[in-house]
Amino acid sequence: MSNNRIVTSPSERVQALSDSFKDVLSLGQKYVDLLDRLAQTKDTKDLLAATIKLTKMDLANAFVNFPPHYKAADYFLIFMDRLLKMHGDTAVNVTENELNHEFEATMASIGNEAIFKFEIDSRGEAAFTEQSQHEPLFYLSLEDKLMQFNNRTLVNYFIIYALNQHTDLELRDAVKPLIDFAKYLQQDLDFTIDLGILATANDRRFMLDKPDLPLTVIDRLFVATADEDYMLMNLPRNNGAELILDQGTKLDIAFDPDDYSQEWAFLVEDPDEQVSFFDVLLHYGLVRKWYLADRDSLAVRTDHMEIADDEEAVPDSASLAVDQSDEEAEVTTKKDDSEENDE
Amino acid sequence: MASVETNSDALDVTQAINQQIITKVKYLRRFNDAISNHRDREIYQLLDNQRYAKEIEHREQQPNDKGVMNLVDDLADQLSNHLSENLIKYLGKTYPFFYYEEYQTGHYRIYFGNWWDRRQFGELDVLNVRFSFDQTEYEKLRTAFELSRDNKRYNSERINKISSENDRLQDLIDHQREREERKEALQEQLKDISSRSGIWESSRNKESRQELVEQLQKLEDQEDESRNAVQTIKDNERVVLSLSKENTILSYEQKSIVDTFGSFEDFELANRNLYANYLESLNEANGKQVDSDEQ
Repeated sequence: MSNNRIVTSPSERVQALSDSFKDVLSLGQKYVDLLDRLAQTKDTKDLLAATIKLTKMDLANAFVNFPPHYKAADYFLIFMDRLLKMHGDTAVNVTENELNHEFEATMASIGNEAIFKFEIDSRGEAAFTEQSQHEPLFYLSLEDKLMQFNNRTLVNYFIIYALNQHTDLELRDAVKPLIDFAKYLQQDLDFTIDLGILATANDRRFMLDKPDLPLTVIDRLFVATADEDYMLMNLPRNNGAELILDQGTKLDIAFDPDDYSQEWAFLVEDPDEQVSFFDVLLHYGLVRKWYLADRDSLAVRTDHMEIADDEEAVPDSASLAVDQSDEEAEVTTKKDDSEENDE
Repeated sequence: MASVETNSDALDVTQAINQQIITKVKYLRRFNDAISNHRDREIYQLLDNQRYAKEIEHREQQPNDKGVMNLVDDLADQLSNHLSENLIKYLGKTYPFFYYEEYQTGHYRIYFGNWWDRRQFGELDVLNVRFSFDQTEYEKLRTAFELSRDNKRYNSERINKISSENDRLQDLIDHQREREERKEALQEQLKDISSRSGIWESSRNKESRQELVEQLQKLEDQEDESRNAVQTIKDNERVVLSLSKENTILSYEQKSIVDTFGSFEDFELANRNLYANYLESLNEANGKQVDSDEQ
């Protein structure tokens, strides 16, 4: 940078200082312009562009100390808040913490104790993370236009932890704006999104992390239905079981009979394609108890969308490497990454 | 006895034979016609006129004509196959929980339910319109219904017994350390007492020595048992799971019968009246199934 020159004469020194201020002032001007766009723009594409620039902006300067400013994680949250508000969605409440000046999100339906923030790893991928349990619920990469839910942490946080304090309906309301956010990203900004176990499409299969499922695990679900109103049926081609739930909802644990590999997967079908596997876990204690008791065998795999790390001559179409890592391993990777999280 | 005596007698015999043949031909023609037009009700009548008269026409004592009935005996399998089509369609509505597998022409296995695990429940006797249930399986179901009146399940007692056995074994495993400590203490005492033994050992000393040895042996036995306990617990759990599965199957079966018939007694009644109910459901004119829900 120019201000690192060794200068001698007073006038040169003054000029150097002045030049530095000019740099800083123009940087400052750019900065406030971006802040204005972040705060005011009505265009989602402009909002995205401004957010990306803000998250990458380096305001450190030897001569001028900028007044307190926000961090990249805050811009992510403001971006989320603004995109939701542009769609009239007010279920997520984003406020600035007066003590540390960081932005925090809460959901109306589950109260103020559950605080969510973005946490950013070394690759610039932000994880929307609940702060007390430290579960990253989804990942967001603005530059690569990716958004993906984490199946394991969704279960850890909502199904295991939060369900102790809240009803299934409250939790469903808490998850809804997150799903909506994903959909707005997809509709408005062409993001590639993966709703994971929140997806409601009837043909969506959730492959099990461990491909070989002992049939005794299904036997246990069968036995558990003896005291319930739900029945576990055999699939017509002997390729698994189907649990008949309420209002035409069915949960299959099955493999594709035409595929020699016989990989087991969950599948939820309902007449209106409104019910996800997550919803089934949330609403049906029978399924939840069974799933959690045998989670080692039943854990759903997260097909993690990854951005190719090195940018060496990878064709654009191939830059999305789909890494089929399991729930557990994926979380470990994430943790490792976030430790070296100082850009 | 029958010996040819006169010509006129021979004529009578010829006439009698012809009469019989005409009856047989008539029977076969009727049969042929009924088969061609799938008039199942008439086929059932032709197969067993006595039963048909009694249960459908309520006329008692109509003997079967042995001379014609056995004409189709060797066609039993094919007839069963032919008649099964409408019968199974009817049963699909009236006994929605039964499933059939034709394992050879005209022979049908009954499966109870299409749930995750189900039982083969006997066979369907199409020509006689009746279920021939597997007696062992049927008795299980009857017993399950009886037990359910006291809110009990078929295998509950055995499951409870095995479960408490598992609790005991788990307890053995959990108390291994205490056992070790107790063993050491006993061995110490034994050593102490043994030092005072010899040919002049007091009877009291002898007794307590004997007692210590016995206690040590008991601990040793427990140790042996606990060494195998992990495996035994696993084996027991497998047995409990399969017993629980049988309980579940029986509870699904009971649920299905109650949903369809109201009670086990009504189910048995329906089975007894199946022939009459089914044949009455077949339209007299064409022998095909009546589509209305009047049955």
